[in-house]
Amino acid sequence: MLEAVEVLSARMAQTESQTDEAGLIRAAQKGDQDAFERLVRSYDHSVLRVAMNLLRSPDEARDVYQEAFLKVYRNLHTFRFDCSFHTWLYRIVTNICLDHLRRRKVRREESTVVETSEGVVDRMSQLEEGAPHADPERQMWNRQLGGKIDQALESLTPRERAVFELRHYEGLRLRAIGEMIGTTEEAAKNCLFRATQKMRASLEAFV
Amino acid sequence: MNCNEVVREIPPYCYGEVSPAIEETLEAHLADCPACTRELAKHRKFLTRMDERAEMPDTGMLASCRTDLRTAISRVPAPVATNWLESFRNLWQLNIPFRVPVGAMALVALGFFAARVTPERFGGMKAGLSEPMFSNVRSVEPDASGQVRISVDEVHRRMVSGALGDANIQQLLLEAAREENNPGVRVESIGLLKNNVDSEEVRNALLDALTRDQNPGVRLKALEGLRPYAGNKDVRKTLASVLVKDENAGVRVQAIDLLTTHRDDSIVGALQNALQYEDNTYVRAQCERLLAEMKASVGTY
Repeated sequence: MLEAVEVLSARMAQTESQTDEAGLIRAAQKGDQDAFERLVRSYDHSVLRVAMNLLRSPDEARDVYQEAFLKVYRNLHTFRFDCSFHTWLYRIVTNICLDHLRRRKVRREESTVVETSEGVVDRMSQLEEGAPHADPERQMWNRQLGGKIDQALESLTPRERAVFELRHYEGLRLRAIGEMIGTTEEAAKNCLFRATQKMRASLEAFV
Repeated sequence: MNCNEVVREIPPYCYGEVSPAIEETLEAHLADCPACTRELAKHRKFLTRMDERAEMPDTGMLASCRTDLRTAISRVPAPVATNWLESFRNLWQLNIPFRVPVGAMALVALGFFAARVTPERFGGMKAGLSEPMFSNVRSVEPDASGQVRISVDEVHRRMVSGALGDANIQQLLLEAAREENNPGVRVESIGLLKNNVDSEEVRNALLDALTRDQNPGVRLKALEGLRPYAGNKDVRKTLASVLVKDENAGVRVQAIDLLTTHRDDSIVGALQNALQYEDNTYVRAQCERLLAEMKASVGTY
């Protein structure tokens, strides 16, 4: 009996996870809040990861998360299934991230590095301290490398940075990245080359 | 291809984003050029360093983002399509059975007949296939009249198209998923196969790609495809192994996210094992949370 209940609950869970995404989008378009929330949950981890990797600032990543999903909420009724929902959402997220990066360039801010009473602190490097069992030497190395990588990333243009991060950390194809940032696959490829050359020059001691 | 051109192609090559022809030329150049081989090795090392710096949001951050979003949405009036134009556009969303395949077939048929009736000088189809390539010369026989008879093996490239559900297309995709030389082809194939994960053969191909493929992009696609089967015993066993063995933090994050969707005491050992080596904050936190939920210790004694 217990086994039958387990099988039944496993099947129910399986059916639930197989729910048609298009059906979910259509329900959300008709105002079904529960469907919208399920849609958000299917993608929000990736959205936050993209924002974290692109901006390397938890605060800005939170802003991008909220701005992107509010935009999706307001404009979901205009989504026509011309492309996949994933592509549509990533286009929104990338554009918001690019706006943040451009604003940051204008302000000439180092978003992850802040001045405190104890001196200059990199907020991103502090996040790693949550792993209590990790090797201290490795943590030190990671911090040094992390600082250098952040500096190298800051030297890229917003577009170069977006192309590199989306290709390297999100595994997106150059063609898809080109579509997202409104350019061709070839231009995205050139951008990737410039970005990697600049970063490798900055990180020469580490690679 | 000279050294400068090779250096420009190295970044897309490392991500499996060059065409088969460029890949072949590039590899031929690399075989004879120590400088470019060193450049490739340095680039790969740079990519590995960048992998170590991947950022993963922790669960607490994700949870607070969700709460903030819910609050923000509760203040926004629900948007709906109201005007006649919107309503007209909504007609396209009616659930007509087989709308997409029938539409696709109609377009293919239209293209086929249009090419047949268009004269060649206006860009219509040429009679016969494109020029064949030959892979092997079997024999060469000169004759008395000055002619030569050459026996060759021909290789024809042809386009095959069909619905994803078609058995032949499915077989070709399964073959393409194992295409060793081109990770780009593998990513695309796995991405398409994952839509038909109900087939055991496809599921096995995804599991195989997840454990064996060198390209993290392919492994991530395979993980996405296995999501509906996160409760399946074999899938969970593979996920537990990926959690311990996979070098890519992004893949491990997806694996632990799938493992957390079902409670299963048989993965306790794998979670404890993963905790000994894992240095990704998010994966560690998830492992610890799962172990706490199952009332298991976080270490092995």
